[in-house]
Amino acid sequence: MAQPPIRIPLSQLARGQRATIECSALDFLPNEHRCLLEAMGMGEQCEVRVCRPGTPCIVQIDRTRLGLPHGIADQIMVTPIEPASP
Amino acid sequence: MIPRIALIGNPNTGKSTLFNRLCGLRSKTANFPGSTVEHQVGRCITKSGQEMDLIDLPGIYSLMLEMPESKLCADCLDGRLGDGRPDAALLVLDANNLSRNLQFAASALRRGIPTVIAINMVDLALRRGLVIDERAASQALGVPVVAVSARSGQGIDRLIEQLTMTSTSDATHTRNLPLPNTEPGSTTSAIWAAEVFSAIAAQPKNMNDDRMTIHDRLDAAFTHPLLGIVFFLLMMSLLFASIYWLAQFPMDAVDGIFGWLGSGVESIMPAGTLRDLMVNGIVGGVSATVIFLPQILLLFFLLALLEDSGYLARAAFAVDRTMRRFGLPGQAFMPLLSSHACALPGIMATRLIPNHRDRLATILVAPFMSCSARVPVYALLTGVLFEGRPLAAGIAFTGCYVLGAIVALATAALLRKTILRGPSTPMMLELPDYRVPSIRNALAIAIDRGMLFLKNAGSVILSIAIVMWWLSAYPKSPPSPESVAMEIRAVEVAPTDSNAAEILRSQAARLDERNQQSGSFAGQIGAFCQPVFAPIGLDRQLTVAVLTSFLAREVFTTTVFVLAGAGSDADGEDQGTLATVRTATRDDGLPLFTMATSASLLVFFVLAMQCLPTLVVVARETGSWRWPLLQFSYMTVIAYVAALFAYLLMS
Repeated sequence: MAQPPIRIPLSQLARGQRATIECSALDFLPNEHRCLLEAMGMGEQCEVRVCRPGTPCIVQIDRTRLGLPHGIADQIMVTPIEPASP
Repeated sequence: MIPRIALIGNPNTGKSTLFNRLCGLRSKTANFPGSTVEHQVGRCITKSGQEMDLIDLPGIYSLMLEMPESKLCADCLDGRLGDGRPDAALLVLDANNLSRNLQFAASALRRGIPTVIAINMVDLALRRGLVIDERAASQALGVPVVAVSARSGQGIDRLIEQLTMTSTSDATHTRNLPLPNTEPGSTTSAIWAAEVFSAIAAQPKNMNDDRMTIHDRLDAAFTHPLLGIVFFLLMMSLLFASIYWLAQFPMDAVDGIFGWLGSGVESIMPAGTLRDLMVNGIVGGVSATVIFLPQILLLFFLLALLEDSGYLARAAFAVDRTMRRFGLPGQAFMPLLSSHACALPGIMATRLIPNHRDRLATILVAPFMSCSARVPVYALLTGVLFEGRPLAAGIAFTGCYVLGAIVALATAALLRKTILRGPSTPMMLELPDYRVPSIRNALAIAIDRGMLFLKNAGSVILSIAIVMWWLSAYPKSPPSPESVAMEIRAVEVAPTDSNAAEILRSQAARLDERNQQSGSFAGQIGAFCQPVFAPIGLDRQLTVAVLTSFLAREVFTTTVFVLAGAGSDADGEDQGTLATVRTATRDDGLPLFTMATSASLLVFFVLAMQCLPTLVVVARETGSWRWPLLQFSYMTVIAYVAALFAYLLMS
């Protein structure tokens, strides 16, 4: 039986690491922040790459770069898809 | 009837650059009735002479977000803003970020307004190997699509052609096309956008990702907690040094022009009330405002360059952590810093702050920052306080700046915990690509801001300047017996000693001016208000000087010199003038400036809202006189209490 994918907060990803935003990944956020992030491109099934961990946490989605405070990145649950590059 | 076209799109799509390209300088900033969210309105004139009015709406991510900008755009497209629905929409998409932009396009197209889509920055996309097929895009989206580069002008003529055709026809092109019935970010919307993207764009597999690495490094440096702040301070020092140094030449020129204008009016008009009104009321009042224009133009020009380069968004993150401790966002730092040059552009620059409460808090504390108009006052009072001790005077001078900044931050923290209480919006920002900023665009922004400043501040200030002139010019006081005696003596000595006669005449004129000051309505108000200022050590003369400086702080020094009998043309730097002020006396013969009075006045000027133009601009920016009145009352009380404390300490 396949193990369910591991989900961790976006803030825990290392520089260069990629992850997928799965369904309900933004559910811990207040509605207004969730809607804004979705409209900014952080929708379901999108792939994010961490450009800079910490505060601000800078992630890249497609060609868009978003800067997020650590508190917000901490509440976004993502599924890592590859280990961080050395 | 000139067709109206609404420009909509995501932020950072080059929408405003396209607007400026289409309208040139034929644009102005406006507000929809009942809204404080601004937009630009401009006129585009085609080669055949046809005219179109373009409405540049704020950049938004969705029409459904609970944000004022989103609601405004939705209301505009749905015709709920008084002028009815626009005749057409110009939807601007970024060629380099099509997937997300297409999702927004779907929600805008669902509104059913005749639309033209401009896919902007195609030149940059082409460099990355991304080719847009206009025809396929038009078929997939059901509306005319034009690939353009607003910066280089590529495709602009074809875009104008399409806009002309679409805005004058009644066709709604999207009626038979399947569009996702969800907002940007949903899975359905993302799948639809991916399908459209693959149909309209040819993208090589191996995208050039090397630039990403450079971006990563720059981002890491510019947003680093320590390095980022060092970069930011360096950048801001350069910015303000440029404003201080570059603005002084046009400011001198403006001053010279108004001086020349005043002299011209004086020479062609007969002496009397009307000439006095023209020279001292109208020309003087207008010049007191227009003199700040070069600083405003320069600040907004340089800020537009910085914003366009992509740096400003990173800088906001660098200072966000520190500013949050005082309840302000990172974006507040720059307006507060620019308030050190002048509070007016600083307050206008708060438009970069998206959250209403954050913006209001920044506007309310910005005047605490020591602006350049306070410098002559600081120079005079620290010079009087620390005569012959330049080091101590320098430290006191710096202390004024520090005191203002500390009280500003403490006030911001207080406001965010009391009347502006509420959740602070975390800063979630899109970081635009780094690029060479457009000078054309920066010029258009600076000119627009300058015109707005002149129009809104100038008209009100002019009226009040006339009132202030009248208060200080009436009732007319007759020459005093002393001055008459001096005039007679001057006539007597003139044949033998013309220099002595000139000195006597000038002393008589100053005496008359002093009499006029105290006998005028402003002087009477000063005498009436003096008991209020007595606890902080001010006599009638200094009370008049403080009251008249409400129009503009620097007026204080001029008034003091006139009252002290030093001549109204003194600039505060002349040693002889300073000596005269130091030895000036009150009506009762006691020294006008004691240590305690000087310290109390200095503290008062650091903290008081002695600037009418600032109040006018605050009213304009907040959309109400409630906030400037609160700001004036709060700052005056704080200044008075602190001045009282300083006076008691030094007495």
